[in-house]
Amino acid sequence: MIDPVPTPVRPEPDRQPKARRRSRHALLGFLEAYTLLILLVVAAVFFSVYGKTADTFPTAANLQILVSSQAVTAIVALAALVPLVCNEFDLSVGAVTGLSAVMSASLLSDSMNVLLALAVGVALGVAIGLVNALLVTRMGVNGVITTLGTATVLGGVVVQKTGGIAVDSNIPKAVTDFGSLNALGIPRVAFAMVLVALVVYYLLEHTPLGRQIYALGSNRAAAELVGIRTSFVLAATFVLAGGLSAVAGVIYVARAGGADPGVGEAFTLPALAAAFLSAAAVKPGKYNVGGTLVAIFFLAVLNNGLNLAGAPPYVTSYVNGAALVVGVALAASLHRQRASTGRRATAADTEAV
Amino acid sequence: MHSPLATDRHALRVRGVAKAYGGAQALDGVTLNVEAGTIHALLGGNGSGKSTLIKILAGVVSADSGQLVIGGVQREAKAQTPAHARAGGLLFVHQQQSTFPQLSVAENLVLGGRYETGLAGRIKWSALRRRAQRVLEQYGIDVDPRTELGRLNPATQTLVTIARALQDREEAFGGVLVLDEPTARLPRREVDGLLANLQRYAEAGQTIVYVTHRLDEVHQVAHTATVLRDGRAVASLGRAQFDRDELVTLIAGRSLTAPTRPTSGSSQDAPAAEVVLEAKGLGIDAEPLCLRAGEVVGVAGLIGSGRTRLLRRIFGLGAAAHDQVSVSGKQVAGSSVRAAMRAGIAYVPEDRTADAAFADLSITRNISVADLGSYARWRGFDQRAEKARAAALMTSFQIRGRSAELTIAALSGGNQQKVVLARWLQRRPKVLLLDEPSQGVDVGARAEIHALIRRAVDEGAAALLVSSDFAELAAVADRVFIMRNGRIVTEIRASELSEDALTAAVYQHGAQQ
Repeated sequence: MIDPVPTPVRPEPDRQPKARRRSRHALLGFLEAYTLLILLVVAAVFFSVYGKTADTFPTAANLQILVSSQAVTAIVALAALVPLVCNEFDLSVGAVTGLSAVMSASLLSDSMNVLLALAVGVALGVAIGLVNALLVTRMGVNGVITTLGTATVLGGVVVQKTGGIAVDSNIPKAVTDFGSLNALGIPRVAFAMVLVALVVYYLLEHTPLGRQIYALGSNRAAAELVGIRTSFVLAATFVLAGGLSAVAGVIYVARAGGADPGVGEAFTLPALAAAFLSAAAVKPGKYNVGGTLVAIFFLAVLNNGLNLAGAPPYVTSYVNGAALVVGVALAASLHRQRASTGRRATAADTEAV
Repeated sequence: MHSPLATDRHALRVRGVAKAYGGAQALDGVTLNVEAGTIHALLGGNGSGKSTLIKILAGVVSADSGQLVIGGVQREAKAQTPAHARAGGLLFVHQQQSTFPQLSVAENLVLGGRYETGLAGRIKWSALRRRAQRVLEQYGIDVDPRTELGRLNPATQTLVTIARALQDREEAFGGVLVLDEPTARLPRREVDGLLANLQRYAEAGQTIVYVTHRLDEVHQVAHTATVLRDGRAVASLGRAQFDRDELVTLIAGRSLTAPTRPTSGSSQDAPAAEVVLEAKGLGIDAEPLCLRAGEVVGVAGLIGSGRTRLLRRIFGLGAAAHDQVSVSGKQVAGSSVRAAMRAGIAYVPEDRTADAAFADLSITRNISVADLGSYARWRGFDQRAEKARAAALMTSFQIRGRSAELTIAALSGGNQQKVVLARWLQRRPKVLLLDEPSQGVDVGARAEIHALIRRAVDEGAAALLVSSDFAELAAVADRVFIMRNGRIVTEIRASELSEDALTAAVYQHGAQQ
């Protein structure tokens, strides 16, 4: 190995301010990553001691409801997260959840084998994901437009299939038990949520495909030039989003003991909001699994607590909307501050070279 | 022509300006004087403090101490504001051009100013055009104001940008024009036109501060020069003192030896080495293009002569149906980036920001991204191996950054380019395709990049190096292909290789074929 040029001797800058700047930089980094988690804990502690909710909030029953009610939304959010990492918005996640719920529920009502009925529901989601993927990668249609289109069509399919009436007769007990019972004091659906979260985490962080998804989100042209099959990766994210949304749909059937035709669309915005907010927590600047879960439960604790405190229902909308905007704005401002102290620290290192 | 205010013959004086970013002294008491009506070159490597000084002049960064005297008005440097800069007649034209390629030259000249409007807010197009015509004539730019700006060659576009900055002066050539690397992206012939115009402006009384990495331009146009290094003005030179080697030594603070090229009769010895790349139909007169192990082959040609396209075709991008590329005698199956990579071809694209850097990903991930498969294990992605390899590459490629976990955007341009090289060289490619690998990089990093290329080639690879800088090609390449109109038209062998020979071959029309 040859040594190209001797490294010049750096002038020694005074250490003290540099060290202080670094620690300030580290503090800002910590705040940026964990502000949302800290707020989640603060909100939970507050509702545990606040007079109106101290008796109801920190009870096992309430916390079980809180967790199980968020399991479906959390899985839909994880579904939306995967394409979001590539900077693609999948607006059809809620509609796919709704369709898979309605289809599985009606197959179960017709006394089909339970596993088969659920499998059909999930397969349907994968198929719709594939349609989205082909429209985006082969036809070159913008992802937002594509998924808005499929979501609208699916809404129609659901109404045609159900005639607008909820499908809830004859759902097998095994299914509803899964949705309503606890294991070890924890709702069974929470295990499903954790399992899905682990799978998505593993996929994004511990497989080459996950790295490629992040690379694609960072710079598509460069990704192409390092041999990443960008169309394939992009397509995979839409297929995964479809499949995961459908999993959320069958879990919804278990939770609700049936399927309401209007329910799907209601998941889309909260799920996308949580996925988007994930870039403001745990791994700042990156859409990530941990951040998505923190965002979901932060909003859930706020809403649950306010509910118990007797706040009128419309307050929920105010809170959800404001939390999204404030959360993202706060993270952005912390990021800017940290970047500027970071740049100075790096400048201190490299200017002298 | 000179301003009556200027009892001082200096249009700009900088006195003892200092600026520290935290612990690091970016500028350490810099003093320089620019006489009115002269071109003053400001030289220095990346991190020398050049950009900090320009930002202080512009009033966007505030200095810690020192004074500025602009057009005879003295002010504390820390009190400088953008408004003062404007009032003092300082004009800045940056490397990133703030022009609108889809609009006409006339509209580009008026933007930022005001459109003259008539009835119902209608733009008076003919008045606009006449005014633009006047400005273009005044600054010696021979184009029709109705031409879409993007259709002009890049040097003319730069001239239009300069004219736009200058047009609103009270006197045509007052104030101080600060040009920040205006020629970084321009091929040589176009640069000459631009420099000739700058000289004319200076003769008419325009003061110009000219920032550049290209030392031959300093010889060509500058009257005086200041060299910055580590925040200090290490030399202030008059025209008679310009000496290329001396300047390089001053900028780098050490003497750089050009990477050695096997000298005597290397092209005669070369046939002994293995042919690592053979591309059918891409060589001279549709002959195969062949590269042998151990050689760096340059590609020279004007912008638009097809240099980038040549590299991309070899890399399987937009290849013609009949293209056939073989690496070490084995034909690359199908034409795709993945097939090319599997065969051992690597490609460093010209535009680092757009086509190579993943700005918000860490240095580690920027390096591993081209070799992800090698970290896949049954139990997951081997992040430890990934980090270890990135850390080792940072050391051996002399990438200067605090940590491999920082985003690549935190590095200077030269260090980013070394990251991109590390990304590819870790794959031990047999063929290295390089498109302007040292563009916009300081002298020191440039030498390091050249050494890295030479090291890869010495280990058995072959490199195809596209560059607009003929001095670089003459110093680094073993032989050089000349391209024109999308084809390689001739080859300059080692024995004839020189900057002048390249210039002649590239600009000569109807060269011997």
